[in-house]
Amino acid sequence: MKIVTRDYLFARGWRSAAPILLLLPGFGLYLLIAVGPSLATAVYSFTDATGIRGIAINWLGFENYDEFLFRGAASRDNIAALWRTLVFSFFVTTIQFGLGLVLAVLLNSRLRGRTIFRTIFFMPVILGVAIQGLIWKLFLLPGGGPVAEIFSWIGWSSEFLGGQPRQAFAWVIVVQIWANVGITMVIFLAGMQTIPESLYEAARIDGANGWQLFRNVTWPLLTPAVNTNFLLNIVGSLQAWQLFLVLIGYRPGTQVLGYLVFAEGFGQTSGSVSSAFRQGYAAAASIALFMLVLVIALAANAFVSHREKKYLS
Amino acid sequence: MKKSLTWRLAAVLLAFGLIGAACGSDDSSSPATTAAPAATDAPAPDEPEPEPEMAEDVTLRVLVHQNPPMVEFMEAFNESFEASHPHITIDLSVVEAGDLSIATQTRLSANDIDVVGIFGFSNAAQSYMSGAVPPNWQTLIEAGLLMDLTGQPFVDNYDEATIADAGSFNGKVYSINLGRVSYSGMFVNKDLLAANGLEVPTTWGELVTACEVVKAAGNECMTVGGADGWPVFVGAYGLLGAMYPDQEALVEGLWTGDITWDDDQSVEMFRRMQIYTSDMLEQGVTGLSHDAGPPRYAAGDVAFMPTGVWQAPALESAEPDFDWTYVPFPGSDNAEDNQYLFGKYDQGWAIAADTPHPEAALAYLEAFSEPDNYQAFANAVGFIPTQPTAVLDTHLGREVAPFLANYRVGFEQYWVAPAGAGQWANGSQAAAWFSPFNEWTDHVALAAQAQADLQAGLDAN
Repeated sequence: MKIVTRDYLFARGWRSAAPILLLLPGFGLYLLIAVGPSLATAVYSFTDATGIRGIAINWLGFENYDEFLFRGAASRDNIAALWRTLVFSFFVTTIQFGLGLVLAVLLNSRLRGRTIFRTIFFMPVILGVAIQGLIWKLFLLPGGGPVAEIFSWIGWSSEFLGGQPRQAFAWVIVVQIWANVGITMVIFLAGMQTIPESLYEAARIDGANGWQLFRNVTWPLLTPAVNTNFLLNIVGSLQAWQLFLVLIGYRPGTQVLGYLVFAEGFGQTSGSVSSAFRQGYAAAASIALFMLVLVIALAANAFVSHREKKYLS
Repeated sequence: MKKSLTWRLAAVLLAFGLIGAACGSDDSSSPATTAAPAATDAPAPDEPEPEPEMAEDVTLRVLVHQNPPMVEFMEAFNESFEASHPHITIDLSVVEAGDLSIATQTRLSANDIDVVGIFGFSNAAQSYMSGAVPPNWQTLIEAGLLMDLTGQPFVDNYDEATIADAGSFNGKVYSINLGRVSYSGMFVNKDLLAANGLEVPTTWGELVTACEVVKAAGNECMTVGGADGWPVFVGAYGLLGAMYPDQEALVEGLWTGDITWDDDQSVEMFRRMQIYTSDMLEQGVTGLSHDAGPPRYAAGDVAFMPTGVWQAPALESAEPDFDWTYVPFPGSDNAEDNQYLFGKYDQGWAIAADTPHPEAALAYLEAFSEPDNYQAFANAVGFIPTQPTAVLDTHLGREVAPFLANYRVGFEQYWVAPAGAGQWANGSQAAAWFSPFNEWTDHVALAAQAQADLQAGLDAN
């Protein structure tokens, strides 16, 4: 029997152009809305662009990078924001990954009401960042909020989001995990449901206990989901900034690099309503963020590739 | 089969083409190509009246920042304006105050707005500010995005100083400013003070004593909307003003090195800011939003609320019988230094230079500037009027009247940070950096850090 697709994809003459022509609109759209702005950001990072129509853009060379990384005390704050971004990413990635896995294992078992629990844990994912922030601002009211009330039962107190920068920062980590653990859980669940039940049965016949089933059947065969979640969590947490804006605003000691980019680009740094827009400088900061994400993502990708070879080859 | 495939392919490509065309902009209807007037093309009042544009229906897009009494007034005014101008429909957009400059910039750049609310022009780069970046309003003007309003008859309804200080650049008028506000005073709970045998404090020492007395009686000294961050340091702007009554000179001194954040006077100011933050403010204000401040204060068990006069309408609305006054924050030991109210020019109007409806936009500002309408606006919002014929005939107006002769523009409107300055360089915000709002517990150390961060910026330029 002749394979029809071979005819279409590798035919001679103009027919061979069909797949390319069909791909062109999508590829063009990708260039336009993804690659184009990214390249433009790289170019803007060497200019004094303000983002305001009618203002001349001047070429500055590496001046924005020099200011961002080396000039005055502001560079100290920028480097601190970079480290804070790494800390944020580490905690979010590890906790969200672990919690998502535990929830998926529990909700993949024959737990009563598991569909309701799946819905509950996934629900925050569908809420917008503004709603997520508002909900947690209410939860975390220091005077009479539900969390403050629970804390008071065990003699704790906290100023939560309005207090010490480290406390506020930690609470943003909590909210970020709450907001995104649902998607991590669903990816793990999807992966678990592709594992054939016969493998578990065979392992049980061989006398495997629950932990051994997880260690030797679930975990290796979950590799694609593990890798996907690992990369998504790292990249997502490195780029996060919206919750910082909604929950604590621009406050010394709490900014991450993503928020710094927004604040510099749209004049939000000084508290003054007439601050300058420094979109060229913000572009340089975003390129710094991009480099950070790139390096970490490449390292993570190498790690997950190694895992795939180990477990799936 | 071959022919069929050809047609299918052609149909797919045609469909993508149509989608692309539909998504593209229709230049023929774009305002940018409809002979929009340039900044200097706005109809001058001494030219013959243009042909009425009113023959066609016009939707005028207006942008303001969130301020509940102002938005409420605007909605009522728009209704009445639409009734008297049946061909004009107002499309009012309201954004948070902190987002106004972003919304203004993006919508002006996209030619998607006709009339914009704009704060009074401030923070201009001065000759001694080496390497300072011009403020956003200046950039908008230099980009030709704001209409030149020079010579429009309604501009004359406002006092000359306001037009010059808050709406002009390089000799041309780009904005009419609708009111000044003071942010350096504090509301005083007269009943609570009377119940504790206290007078309204006029010096720092009296304020400290008053706080001790009311707290000893089981009440609270002060509250502010601390969850939003900025109300904490704005609440201490009066303290800053009392210590440095010439705020413009303070900014210049900090830039030139004549004044430092760690000199004796500034360290004392930092010390008092720490007392204000850590001792005077009630516990729990870290979770109290700015808008929740007046209802909390109106509960009656707090003596003072240091904040801007713009919260007076909300306070009256929260508890009409609450008996309050508004006085300068007594930050100095010398009562003479505590007579000043510092503040800023608040909301103003500007028109997009490229608006396709310049006549409607000018008619809107003209109607708004009519003395009766303006008076109603001032009454509703509580701004200190910028039209000489208007009076602030409200509770707030009567309370601040004795201090208006001593009204001054505040530090926030003069300050520009040098590029490279650190995050602690703007010492006027130090009140919000002390515990419980931030990590600092030692005012001397914070003063030294503020100066070091400022000096790093000064040295980098």
